[in-house]
Amino acid sequence: MLGVVFLIVAALYALGVLQFFASTSSGPHYKHMLLFGVLGVASFIAANFARERVV
Amino acid sequence: MGLLQGASELFPVSSLGHAVLLPSLLHWAFKQSDPSFVPFLVLLHLGTATALLILYRDEWIVIVRGFVAAAIRGQIRTDTERLAMLLLVGTIPAGVLGVFLESRIKSLFASPYEAAVFLIVNGALMLGFEVVRRRAERRSGRPGSSRPEDEERFAHAERISFRAAALVGACQALAFLPGISRSGVTIGGGLLAGLQHREAARFSFLLATPVILAAGLVEVPQLFSNGVPVGEYVGGACLAGVAAYASARFLLRYFRSGRLDPYGWYCVAAGLASLALLRFGA
Repeated sequence: MLGVVFLIVAALYALGVLQFFASTSSGPHYKHMLLFGVLGVASFIAANFARERVV
Repeated sequence: MGLLQGASELFPVSSLGHAVLLPSLLHWAFKQSDPSFVPFLVLLHLGTATALLILYRDEWIVIVRGFVAAAIRGQIRTDTERLAMLLLVGTIPAGVLGVFLESRIKSLFASPYEAAVFLIVNGALMLGFEVVRRRAERRSGRPGSSRPEDEERFAHAERISFRAAALVGACQALAFLPGISRSGVTIGGGLLAGLQHREAARFSFLLATPVILAAGLVEVPQLFSNGVPVGEYVGGACLAGVAAYASARFLLRYFRSGRLDPYGWYCVAAGLASLALLRFGA
């Protein structure tokens, strides 16, 4: 769930919809997009590590 | 500038501090506020990151494979998979702090005076890391043992804890202060986490590569803005890459038995000398 949220935020930064914590107030923010993309992927990996396994 | 950036990026002496101080001390007609400065810096960083990728090319292939395998499996089985996950954990705090704080911190402390003061602080940090390390060596050491034997009692990068990897990664944020060295604080953090000197340097270089590379690649579109002399800048980037490669090879050999102290003393001396020159005029 968290991973999906991060990926949506990444997409919004890439489209220039989100401007929070950005140095300029318009246009796409690729650094933010990359960061939230990585956080999204990391969340999916963490979820995969945390899931219970059937032995 | 390319040679300076490439060499000082990996030596624990702060590339940003030198980039702020030297043009001011040597009266270079070189303005960091110039719009073409960012693309230049981007290419220098890409040169450095490429050098690190070449240096660790075999290791990166194994790390990426290990990362994919562990991520899909949801389980770590080998040291390489553990190292790959440690690098991810260490990169995230650096990325978060970098994206949200870097430009704000850099704009707050961009003057040569502040860079000189932080260079002295950086030196004190390096010396402090070694004081703590020597205590740890005395606690665990045998009297009369050699330096390489002392080093062997400490861990390899793969054995660092995930919490320590995150802390070492977060330490990189200190390097947004001009004068504080990214490699210095991460090597120092690695020493505090119980790594061998050489392994602390290796972990620092591996940790730096994705951050420097990503930061550089994201800014690549700026290279194609009008008036940027790409040819000259690419030349600078190549020099930065050559200097970074040579520096990394030297440092990895040096840290087999060497310590951070000489760099600490250098930073203190260079910071004090810079302050004096800036105060009384070079």
